[in-house]
Amino acid sequence: MALGDAWKQLSWFYYQYLLVTALYMLEPWERTVFNSLLITVAAMAVYTGYVFMPQHIMAILHYFEVVQ
Amino acid sequence: MTESAGNKKEDCHAANGVKPGRNGMVKNHHHHHQYQKQEKVYHAACNGELYSRPFIESFEETPMLVAVLTYMGYGILTIFGYLRDFMREWKIEKCHIAREREEQKDFVPLYQDFENFYTRNLYMRIRDSWNRPICGVPGAKFDLVERSSKDYNWTFEYTGRVVKNVINLGSYNYLGFAENTGSCATAAGDVTVKFGVGVASTRQEMGNLDRHEELEKLVASFLGVESAMAFAMGFATNSMNIPAIAGKGCLILSDELNHASLVLGARLSGSTIRVFKHNNMQSLEKLLRDAIVHGQPRTHRPWKKILILVEGIYSMEGSIIRLPEVIALKKKYKAYLYLDEAHSIGALGPSGRGVVEYFGLDPKDVDIMMGTFTKSFGASGGYIGGRKDLIDYLRTHSHSAIYATSMSPPVLEQIITSMKCIMGEDGMTIGRSRIQRLAENTVYFRRRLREMGFIIYGNNDSPVVPMMLYMPAKIGAFGREMLKRNIGVVVVGFPATPIIESRARFCISAAHSKEMLDRALDVISEVGDLLQLKYSRHKALPSLDRPFDETTYEENEE
Repeated sequence: MALGDAWKQLSWFYYQYLLVTALYMLEPWERTVFNSLLITVAAMAVYTGYVFMPQHIMAILHYFEVVQ
Repeated sequence: MTESAGNKKEDCHAANGVKPGRNGMVKNHHHHHQYQKQEKVYHAACNGELYSRPFIESFEETPMLVAVLTYMGYGILTIFGYLRDFMREWKIEKCHIAREREEQKDFVPLYQDFENFYTRNLYMRIRDSWNRPICGVPGAKFDLVERSSKDYNWTFEYTGRVVKNVINLGSYNYLGFAENTGSCATAAGDVTVKFGVGVASTRQEMGNLDRHEELEKLVASFLGVESAMAFAMGFATNSMNIPAIAGKGCLILSDELNHASLVLGARLSGSTIRVFKHNNMQSLEKLLRDAIVHGQPRTHRPWKKILILVEGIYSMEGSIIRLPEVIALKKKYKAYLYLDEAHSIGALGPSGRGVVEYFGLDPKDVDIMMGTFTKSFGASGGYIGGRKDLIDYLRTHSHSAIYATSMSPPVLEQIITSMKCIMGEDGMTIGRSRIQRLAENTVYFRRRLREMGFIIYGNNDSPVVPMMLYMPAKIGAFGREMLKRNIGVVVVGFPATPIIESRARFCISAAHSKEMLDRALDVISEVGDLLQLKYSRHKALPSLDRPFDETTYEENEE
């Protein structure tokens, strides 16, 4: 079943992420704290990109004199 | 210049002319693509004066990405460690560790240094991989008492179950003499009936049994030295006898990675200690030359004696000491050599006489040969062998002889029986066949692990096999996953190893059959894929599995 395989693959990736960042050794509440922090920072980065991307693209095009 | 510099011309011993931090054949670029034929290349081009057999040792460098990720992992653990310490300090969380009493808070702190931080916050989290209780003989397989923990390894409870037949890859049981059946155990039982278990005295007073004298004669003939002396504890042999041999005004040159007992003995002696880089003969020679040219620090008087402390096999690295070069240096600069063969006695050499026989050298060249009976003989205790006047001096001046209880009779008997078995004096070939099986197992296991793609440190002939894990979470994960699949391994991290180089250490035994090794290798490969441990970037082509119908020592002498 494709969904089952995808789920297995995802949980293997999550296990590798836990091992590399040493979250494997931490207690569940510590993992929650770390993951929330990480997701918050990532979400803020994505949001900032979303808000400012049009301005940045216009500035680039203006620099290369593609658009006035 | 010197004999060791003569080796610099020979590229085959890659570790000789290369910088100290890069010991290993893997940096030898023009041999790289000839990996398969490397053993032949080494043998033909080798410096025939000092080494009669190829000396292949490798310490592959840590991959950069792995090092960065390991540091990152330790950084995250440190941050959470500070957070937990903060919570413990402000009583948000219950504190399980030893703390100073309220009245002593203004004194100099007893419990606050980095190693304690490490113990509280990192070691405790994966503590279930160590101190596992065993309920049987630690032979090729053993039984383990199952434990569980409800408060994340601060306390353990026994579930009441016993995990049976766990394959033992951690015990120092090189020749398989840790057994409760067979001639050694029967002899030990008979002697217990005759002599009892306790000796109740020190060697100098009433504790000198006739069996002790017989053991010492046997050890002396086993090693090929004039005389030997046996002590009840291996650690105490080093730490109590080096102070008797060296003192103020002497210089001790000790290897970087020497065992704690050697370091303690050297410090207790009061001599000046200088450290040379691990197995690096250029570093040792430089220190010798500086010592002889400049003499003692302020007065510039010549040193009373210079003692070089080395080990036969280093158990954390799996490397074998470059004994021919050390002996050449010692003879040239007139220093004394103290060789600690804790892991190599019984495990190396065609008839198990240790690293001196492995290189084909004369035992009389090594001034003080020390070893332990714990590893290959299945007993406990240590010995020192050398010239008769040295041993007579030690009998009267060693702290261990004067103050420590002498060896217990059943342990003595185990050593005597196993040593006679290894020497072949009991008329059977068990000893010889065990030594051969150990050599075969070692070569096979190391080759297979290397082919799978793990990073293995050390010499090809050493039965101690350290496999690198690097990341802190993988230390705990490896120990637990292997136990789930019924294999018991020893994992080591800081402070026994440098902080990013944590490893799993396998000890091969003659008691392991090929099926056990194959099962262990399959499981290690499976766990290695699960935890992504196959870091090696040198893809070795698997060589043909030759049938072992002759000893592995004889085939190298073509």
